[in-house]
Amino acid sequence: MDTSSPSVFVNGALMRRYVGQKVRTVIQVIGSDIGSVVGKSTDDLQIVVRGSSPTPPLTTYLEVIGIAESDNAIRAETWTNFGNSFGTHNYNELCKLANGEFKHLFI
Amino acid sequence: MPVSLTPNAITAINDGDVNLKPLLQVLEIKMIGRSQERSQERYRFLISDGVSAQHAMVAVQLNDRVKSGQVEKGSIVQLIDYICSDVKGRKLIVVLNMETIVPHSETIGNPTIFGETDTEAQKPLSAVGNIPPPNRVVFNEPTAQHSVNRAPPRGVNIQNPANSTPSFRPSVQPSYQPPASYRNHGPIMKNEAPARVIPIAALNPYQGRWAIKARVTAKGDIRRYNNAKGDGKVYSFDLLDSDGGEIRVTCFNAVADRFYDVTEVGKVYLISKGSLKPAQKNYNHLKNEWEIFLESTSTVELCPDEDGSIPRQQFSFRPISDIENAENNTILDVIGVVTSVNPSVPILRKNGMETHRRILNLKDESGKAVEVTLWGEFCNRDGRQLEEMVDSAFHPVLAIKAGKVSDFSGKSVGTISSTQLFINPDFPEAHKLRTWFDHGGKDTASFSISRDTMPGGVSRNEIRKSVSQIKEEGLGRSDKPDWITVKATISFIKTDSFCYTACPLMIGDKQCNKKVTRSGTNRWLCDRCNQESDECDYRYLLQVQIQDHTGLTWITAFQETGEEIMGCPAKKLYALKYELEKEEEFAEIVRDRLFHQYMLKLKIKEESYGDEQRVKMTVVKVDKMNYTSESKYMLDLLVR
Repeated sequence: MDTSSPSVFVNGALMRRYVGQKVRTVIQVIGSDIGSVVGKSTDDLQIVVRGSSPTPPLTTYLEVIGIAESDNAIRAETWTNFGNSFGTHNYNELCKLANGEFKHLFI
Repeated sequence: MPVSLTPNAITAINDGDVNLKPLLQVLEIKMIGRSQERSQERYRFLISDGVSAQHAMVAVQLNDRVKSGQVEKGSIVQLIDYICSDVKGRKLIVVLNMETIVPHSETIGNPTIFGETDTEAQKPLSAVGNIPPPNRVVFNEPTAQHSVNRAPPRGVNIQNPANSTPSFRPSVQPSYQPPASYRNHGPIMKNEAPARVIPIAALNPYQGRWAIKARVTAKGDIRRYNNAKGDGKVYSFDLLDSDGGEIRVTCFNAVADRFYDVTEVGKVYLISKGSLKPAQKNYNHLKNEWEIFLESTSTVELCPDEDGSIPRQQFSFRPISDIENAENNTILDVIGVVTSVNPSVPILRKNGMETHRRILNLKDESGKAVEVTLWGEFCNRDGRQLEEMVDSAFHPVLAIKAGKVSDFSGKSVGTISSTQLFINPDFPEAHKLRTWFDHGGKDTASFSISRDTMPGGVSRNEIRKSVSQIKEEGLGRSDKPDWITVKATISFIKTDSFCYTACPLMIGDKQCNKKVTRSGTNRWLCDRCNQESDECDYRYLLQVQIQDHTGLTWITAFQETGEEIMGCPAKKLYALKYELEKEEEFAEIVRDRLFHQYMLKLKIKEESYGDEQRVKMTVVKVDKMNYTSESKYMLDLLVR
């Protein structure tokens, strides 16, 4: 496993802790423009993802990995379609645990 | 105080006199133990007229007199209502009502146990024991004036033992009545007179003939069954009489057909002839240790002129706070205001049949709330009505007759087949609740005695185990099977024998499915149906190895679950392997079914095969993994 460039699991609220660092999150796509996608984080915050989005069509849920530019924007390097059904609640809880009680288990 | 017992009373009673109202002394009181643990106790007296003594059974409604000490050994009592029946050639007195005249007394006289009389000679006389009820005027003109069908309210004339004894003598009836109009028929003649109406509480198996007048309060559907003796059908109904006595009546087969349409809930009937058997307490919650089985000679007659003395329903409502301490499986009545109704959901029963379940919440003045689980038909019929009411912001009062307490998670109340629901009923308890609810009760917080549903959307009665826990915890070793759920992967499927030849014939509305054997050329014989059929069905009997992170084990899957695991009908696989002989294709299908993860609901029970004890694990439900709900389940384990 490549651990040289770890990315932190975040939801919308956790982004601000990692501005300038590499994060990963899942958003529900609200709209896409040329060069950016607007989505809703698993904790219902709006996130703008910049970068060259993958070739459409995008599915409802999208995982992005990239650098947090601000507390609501990510410059994405990796885009992955996550399908049209996704347990956002579980993902949100995962983010909280990975940055809280079980932080030591995550790189 | 000199009290004289009624001379020759025992003889007279044995001769069939029921109007004597004799004074007798209780020489002995014995509690008769019952084999059935929950049945009511019963007392037997030895009663004496100073010369003879005889055993008498005491109706259960008089038990309190014994318990409270109103009647004890030595007491002198007046029998007010009683009958004498012939049980296997022996006379047995049954006391239905009595009054204590002298609480304590020395034994009077030197009584001897009443001997066996010449029962043959007594026959026509004993018939008088069953005096027709007064409303049957045709038969009983000579006896009408002394009918004791309805004994006067207890203790009309006798309450004070200090009162001199003779004062009640006038009430004593002529000691002996000749048989009524039917005496002309000769010395040995079947008693054709209608039986006497007695209270339900006085019914017992020792009476030859009886009649009860009671209202049908509940009626079950005709149920078909199949057991070792073959097919059959059965239905039952519940009766309530004017004394508050209740009893269940059960009819089988032809008798069921005969009476099913006749009996209607709410109507009053005169019921006679039938046998009394110990009540099946598992199914019968009525406060009676007996159950009536009607026979072909039984009669059920509608009483059109009923006077309303029999209540429509008898409730003994318990506050919800009481349910908290009620034992599991207790049957009770409860009334409350419906605060919420959940949607109806399909549920797979333990026997593999699907049913519906709907949960609603009930609260009452005790400050507690309880979950009520409606099953099957109740979900649709009453459940929908309640749901619509609650959805339109109206909170109906719901009375539940005969709900069953469950203690699975906290306490809840569930419906059983004999449960009855009454929505916004018209009786005082309901009006009281309504007033309470509308004047503040609505807004008071009630503490629920039922635990909320388990997190993770997991069905609340799901017990999750790992494969190794099955062995470690010795599941299946207790009397009842264990029902658990494992999350496991199928690692091997036995294919040398994966199905059996099943009988395709229908028994009632179900397929027989017993194993058939080949007879002659391509005919299949079923031992159970004792018939041959041209074709047989193929049903799964699948041995599957499953494993999780703790270990592996073997489980058995039958038809439905087998098909779920294999992804195609057994018949198709059988044809592929044995008829088309496409071994490769067959192996490919099987291989394809391996290494999938499932949620498997297992029934685990230890069974003995010869001397060997084997824990048998059967899959009753196969569910594909739902990763979302499983993640949620695991998350909840983490944060708990």
